[in-house]
Amino acid sequence: MSAPTTAALSSALAIRTPWKLILAYLPMLLLTAMMMTGGRPISPDPLEWIPLAISFLFFNILFFLMLRTGFTDRYRVILFSTMAFLFVIGFIANLIEMRGSMALSESAMAQGETPFCHMVIPVTLIPAALTRTIIFPGHLLGGFAPIAGMVALWIGASLALGRGFCSWGCFYGGLEDGFSRLLKKPLIRRIGRHWTYLPYAILLAVVLLSAATLSPAYCEWLCPFKTVTEYNEVNNFRTLLQAVIMVALFAGLVVVLPILTRKRTQCGLFCPFGAFQSFTNKVSAYDIRIDRTKCVDCGKCAQVCPTFSMDADSISRGGTRLSCCRCGKCVDACPKQAISFHIKGTEAGASPKWSRLLFLYPAFLFLAVFGGSMVQWGLYRILLLLSTGSMVK
Amino acid sequence: MRGLLLGLASGTACLASCAPALTPFILAQGQSLGHNFRLLAQFLLGRLAGYLVFAILAWSAGLALGAGRIGHLVPIGTVYILLGGLLALYGCLPARETCAAGLATRLQARLTGSHSVVMPVLLGFLTGVNLCPPFLLALTEAARAGSLAGSLWFFATFFLGTSLFFIPFPLAGLLNRHGAVRLVARLTSGVLGVYYLILGVSMLY
Repeated sequence: MSAPTTAALSSALAIRTPWKLILAYLPMLLLTAMMMTGGRPISPDPLEWIPLAISFLFFNILFFLMLRTGFTDRYRVILFSTMAFLFVIGFIANLIEMRGSMALSESAMAQGETPFCHMVIPVTLIPAALTRTIIFPGHLLGGFAPIAGMVALWIGASLALGRGFCSWGCFYGGLEDGFSRLLKKPLIRRIGRHWTYLPYAILLAVVLLSAATLSPAYCEWLCPFKTVTEYNEVNNFRTLLQAVIMVALFAGLVVVLPILTRKRTQCGLFCPFGAFQSFTNKVSAYDIRIDRTKCVDCGKCAQVCPTFSMDADSISRGGTRLSCCRCGKCVDACPKQAISFHIKGTEAGASPKWSRLLFLYPAFLFLAVFGGSMVQWGLYRILLLLSTGSMVK
Repeated sequence: MRGLLLGLASGTACLASCAPALTPFILAQGQSLGHNFRLLAQFLLGRLAGYLVFAILAWSAGLALGAGRIGHLVPIGTVYILLGGLLALYGCLPARETCAAGLATRLQARLTGSHSVVMPVLLGFLTGVNLCPPFLLALTEAARAGSLAGSLWFFATFFLGTSLFFIPFPLAGLLNRHGAVRLVARLTSGVLGVYYLILGVSMLY
């Protein structure tokens, strides 16, 4: 008997019965409608309702396909990457509209006008716990992207999804996830296992440095995403060095290496937030399990895992490494349907459809709500460009 | 007495300042609690040497220039480059012995062998001659001491006050029973080494 194809087997997770499909789909349709509109009447301004309508349809069509086909990662990556690229467009246009430049001046920092992002949560939390000082130059409450709002969002998402945050909510991860899909086959296949510990080392280093200098060392020196968001104004040798390092990290880890390896190299080999987030996998209700009675040790899951979270050792133990991002790529790829989303405390491999659905609901809702506004934001800027010739007002 | 009180008051800041150099080293090298305390003692010895060098500098600079300008005399960028180089080298050295005749193995034995004192003393010395904020304060106070003995005494008591905060450090070394922790500590040392190297270079311009 010939080996069944991945596509045919993955569709075993598909919901085929029409009434079951409607029952599974309808609540998400209503929830996303409510969350994306914020319960407010829809604005008659085409620059507002068109992005809203497009993003609503875009998210819901892809969720429908997830349910109907049984594939998770195949459709998640489309949403995730779109969110990231449109976030960059929206964020840069917003910065230019507000400040006239992507550069962050020292006076803006001194006035606490730096938008807070989740990447600095670990380096902010530890000095805050030790010294009761918030070392990030942003607003605690109020203003744009305040610290308290982002931390609250992160706690909620982490409790629900663990490091799934990195595959369903991180507006940076989508960039490299998108780039990693450009080639059909990787040109670089072997990356030493010891490099997968580098994110933990960078986490420890930036936490120690932030506590020593009482400044967000990661933002100052190492954040690759400064390249496409905001960066320190280059006005001396030190800021020039910082800019060169950040651009090099972005080009290498977010663009070139993901293309060559088909992996999320920034997430898997560098990101200190990802390393910190890995520990939240211990408290979230979900994980990925391998049914050892079905597994034939073909290694396909380890081969496709974008964050180096599966290896022979973890497969033999019937699970993933701590760094698993719950993207679902291994679940889609497994030719024996041995891998499934799993709810802790339940039997491995029992009701994989239900387990997947119970994971998909919070994960997708988080992506739709968090990412939906970013997609609208980016689309609004594109429409503005098309209608007025400029992305900024 | 004023040195001791200043050390006690600003010990956490001193600890935070030295932690990037000491934490990865203790995590990677640590064995038994006794061994870890020995490493800490060697580190503190190096730090004391750094402090005393500064005490002499502070006294002589205080005579020549006045306390306010002492900070400008210190080539901090160079110290950071040396510290960065040492940490980066430590991070790059193989965790296990490889070829007995190889340069890396000989360097490893010199720097990180279980009986070697070079690495902890050097780390302590290079962090000791760094200018963290409480240290600058101590420097200014020592410069006002008027005599070399007074300056040395001030720094020795300041050292004593800050050293109390280092006592829990050997416990961190007990975490390294897992091989992954030792690997992470080595990598951290390398990352911090690169950071201090770049920081030092940026300070020279």
